[in-house]
Amino acid sequence: MSEFFDMGGYGKYLWPAFALGFGIVVLNVVLALNSLSSAKQDARRRMEMSQ
Amino acid sequence: MATWTWFHRLASPPHVYAFARRWTPWFGGFAALAMCAALFGGLVLAPADYQQKDAFRMVYVHAPTAWLSLMIYTTMAVAAAVGLIWRMKVAHAAAAACAPVGAWFTVAALGTGMLWGKPMWGAYWVWDPRLTAELVLLFLYFGYMGLRAGIEDPVKADKASAVLAVVGVINVPIIKFSVEWWNSLHQVATVMQMGKPKMDFDMLWPLLLMFLAFASYFITVLLIRLRAELLRRERNASWIREVLA
Amino acid sequence: MKTLVTRSTALAAARLVAVRDLRLAFHKPSQVIQPLMFFMIVATLFPLTLTPEMSRLRDAAPGVLWIGALLSSLLALEFLFRDDAVDGTLEQFALSGQSLTWMLFAKTCTHWMLTGLPLALSAPIAAAALGVSAGAMGGVVASLALGSFAMSLVGAIGAGLTLGARRGGVLLSLLTLPLAVPILIFGARATQLAISGGDIAPPMYLLGAIAVLGLTLAPLAAAAAVRIGLE
Repeated sequence: MSEFFDMGGYGKYLWPAFALGFGIVVLNVVLALNSLSSAKQDARRRMEMSQ
Repeated sequence: MATWTWFHRLASPPHVYAFARRWTPWFGGFAALAMCAALFGGLVLAPADYQQKDAFRMVYVHAPTAWLSLMIYTTMAVAAAVGLIWRMKVAHAAAAACAPVGAWFTVAALGTGMLWGKPMWGAYWVWDPRLTAELVLLFLYFGYMGLRAGIEDPVKADKASAVLAVVGVINVPIIKFSVEWWNSLHQVATVMQMGKPKMDFDMLWPLLLMFLAFASYFITVLLIRLRAELLRRERNASWIREVLA
Repeated sequence: MKTLVTRSTALAAARLVAVRDLRLAFHKPSQVIQPLMFFMIVATLFPLTLTPEMSRLRDAAPGVLWIGALLSSLLALEFLFRDDAVDGTLEQFALSGQSLTWMLFAKTCTHWMLTGLPLALSAPIAAAALGVSAGAMGGVVASLALGSFAMSLVGAIGAGLTLGARRGGVLLSLLTLPLAVPILIFGARATQLAISGGDIAPPMYLLGAIAVLGLTLAPLAAAAAVRIGLE
């Protein structure tokens, strides 16, 4: 198991790289969903004001 | 005619919104599963490379993010061109939705590349053509978003940023082919060459699966952001009422 | 509706625009002198901050000259379209039925003649201060002249896009920078080869190719951008 984390000595580059890459993957999903929910909120508010 | 109705539907915000809403979970679900499978294949199953040993495994995060940064810009430029030529609001909305995602993945490509470059080349950064052009791509994304933010009139902002996106697309082939045109430190493509790929199959399939996963992932995120854009742009249109109910 | 525009009327209109711009520049010499002074000041700041050693300065000279030229041309690009956009002349050009592309190309050329060309011609002064030998001056001037011409062409696109934008100046720099990177790379390389006595032909050819590409595409993009900004 520990040699899996060590990755032949390259672990200290490899794992941060994966963390960065997939962190950005997750981040963009979160950002997109946030953008959608705030757009929905704004749209609801606009509808209430116009009624 | 069937093709004409299809085209009309593509231009209609409520139709696109409904389409996006329905397909997001499917693309998202596939992306998540495929990423997990590809990660397992690449990190656990694939044998270590002869030259790079285990460091080569970084290809499974670096290559897809770099490819995505280019693919997103191209999508953005095509959407922008469609918006300019056929004056489709939905196309402009799609282009706007692409930009922040593309910028993030350019950052990811540069960052993972730096982490791979240090053990392989001894340096976090070299000013070689491909890396320089990728950095320029990041500036183009920032310029695009800055231009959009700087112009008040939304229609003008759409069109002006569309012109910028189209002008900047020339950078994409430069990034792609720079390793072949100039002496570059960055390695030439090992997968997509004419004829047989040079990679071992056990190493290749996780990479291909990862590309597929990332493509599906991008579609997911794009559909979500596109929905948000359409809601913001359409202001008080009646179809929004139904959607939010 | 497009009127029938023959090439001769497009060129005639372009020539009129060019002559007008040159005449106007005579009345506003500050627009020509300021970017030039800026270039000189930037070029002198580097020796002050880096090192007084001539040999080290000579190594840094291509970078210093080109960054100075880049910043100076970003400053100068502000006034490529601004005055004409403000007083409505640009609108007249767009509505005139003549080729806006050709007219903007004429404006870009005169702009270069008033900013980039003087900069290239006075670069020997800055270069000499950076320890460049007299024999290299020809190559320095040539590379800066060709590069600044390409810069003006590419900058016209950004200038057109930022016409309607708030804080257009900062945005202009942000937009022009990515497009200017290849010009910077090959131009600096040509200047460096000139200073070290090598053959400047290869990078000059590439610079020329970029300029030709810019010549054919940039005025079109700039015209599209200006039309969008004027709507």
